[in-house]
Amino acid sequence: MAGPSGMRKYIFSKKIDTFFKGLADAWNFVRRFFQEVFVPPYEFKEVIHQCYRIGVESLPLISLTGFIVGIVFTNQSRPSLSEFGATSWLPSLIAIAIVRAMGPLVTALIAAGKVGSGIGAEIASMKVTEQIDAMEVSATNPYKFLVVSRVLATTFMIPVLVMYTDFVALMGAFINVNANELVSISTFFAQVFSSVTFLDIFSSIIKSLFFGFTIGMVGCYKGYTSSKGTEGVGRAANAAVVISMFLIFIEELLSLQIINLFRIK
Amino acid sequence: MNQENKRSILVGLFVLIGIIILVLGIMTLGGQQKKFVKAIHVTAVFDDIGGLQPGNNIWFSGVKIGTVRKINFFGDSQVEVEMNVEEKVVEFIRKNSKATISSDGLIGNKIIVIYGGTTDYPSVEEGDRLEAVMPLDTDKMMETLQENNKNLVDITNDLKVLTGKIAAGEGIVGAVMTDSTLGVNFRTILSNLERASTNSNNMLADLADFSNKLNQEGTLANDLVTDTSIVPDLKATLEGLRLTVENAQVLSKEFSTITDKLNSSDNSLGLLLNDPDFAKSLKKTMENADSASYNLNKGMEALEYTWPFNKGFKRKAKAEGGN
Repeated sequence: MAGPSGMRKYIFSKKIDTFFKGLADAWNFVRRFFQEVFVPPYEFKEVIHQCYRIGVESLPLISLTGFIVGIVFTNQSRPSLSEFGATSWLPSLIAIAIVRAMGPLVTALIAAGKVGSGIGAEIASMKVTEQIDAMEVSATNPYKFLVVSRVLATTFMIPVLVMYTDFVALMGAFINVNANELVSISTFFAQVFSSVTFLDIFSSIIKSLFFGFTIGMVGCYKGYTSSKGTEGVGRAANAAVVISMFLIFIEELLSLQIINLFRIK
Repeated sequence: MNQENKRSILVGLFVLIGIIILVLGIMTLGGQQKKFVKAIHVTAVFDDIGGLQPGNNIWFSGVKIGTVRKINFFGDSQVEVEMNVEEKVVEFIRKNSKATISSDGLIGNKIIVIYGGTTDYPSVEEGDRLEAVMPLDTDKMMETLQENNKNLVDITNDLKVLTGKIAAGEGIVGAVMTDSTLGVNFRTILSNLERASTNSNNMLADLADFSNKLNQEGTLANDLVTDTSIVPDLKATLEGLRLTVENAQVLSKEFSTITDKLNSSDNSLGLLLNDPDFAKSLKKTMENADSASYNLNKGMEALEYTWPFNKGFKRKAKAEGGN
């Protein structure tokens, strides 16, 4: 489309150009994180504060969700296995499902909903109320203080939350299995660990690091780039959750492919 | 304590518990997969490992004692499997133990089973190679099964022909199945058989009764069977009997000689018994003797009253009367 000066106003179209510009902005935003994270001053206190908010305050919700997931998944898997008379395989099945996929995924999705939206809304409101500009004026690096600390907190807290979720979900599964199949806790966990491998645990942790990074980064980006006005805060929060969840599923799919490469070896 | 410190402690505690869960999980997993135990390496060479993978379990007497460490090609097309075997169980695995590939349950993971081995062989050592025994090949099993299927088809075809003939009344079985008179005869035979079996049952009962009686203590039959002291007596009796029979034979022989002699007339008794003329002559003699004795009696009576014999008779009569 040509402009009045004869130059094309858009390379493709307004929408496509906006999309690519957004991608470039996002890339620059992420790149800036890696530039800032290793450079002092470090905002330890803010990182700890965010860890508390993201990790400790999310624990009850994540635990409850994990516990319910453990029970429900066990209950739903039982009929299929009992058709083959293989209910004794429930602990193995549940362990694989929870450690490999459900634990990280459920934790990440819950965190995306609770933490991602919170981060997005918080930074967006700071943007709207020009607090970020004020920070810049007062010689405080708002990116380092707001973004780096939050992204670090989500990156390190999500794997820890995943550990809790795995444990609580397995306990939930144990309660269900114990009530129905009268399996002792030692037998249950022996069967759990007979099917789980180191690759499962480490891939789950590494995957969670990426999930955490994604949640933090998307939340911060959406908040940081929100448009002015109160509507922008809501949009930022909403977009943070939607995009985080979408990216989490994409990452889950990619990680599955990559881990399978190691598994086949 | 200010709010900031409190948060820091809670975050630290939260992270610590998370790490403890992770470490416990890793330790448990490592313990179960024998990652942190001392192990020795032994190998076995298989023609086909059927999908065995590094990390699969090694079993000995139903106990997990290690894992598959490495799988390498060996020679032309064989596969060498390197195994980690726990050091503490090495003393139970002998150098002549065998290794085979099995599966954990019906559709479970592949495992290596070590079995056999005798105490006259020393325990395995680092780098030893165990004798590999090829497991039952599923393809071969299917081949055999296929052969069985073909045989089954042949058998059912034969059976079909056979049942067709039976239904048509051909052959003995067909006749039995279709001919009503044969059926009646068959029933009669069966009833006879039943009767015979009843009789034989009764006979067996009698026999049992009889044998019970034989077994009763104190009876002759029981003594004969059970009392060992009776045998020498019986033998002595039989010996006596044998001697008696011999004597009787001698006696009968002598009797026979005597009777032979009695039957012949060349001796006095034989003559007496066999010769009618002699009998007549004897009869005549006896008659003469009878007549002579009569006359003698008469003469004696006359003598009683004749002197000098009459005195003697009187003295005899007196002496008899005095008694």
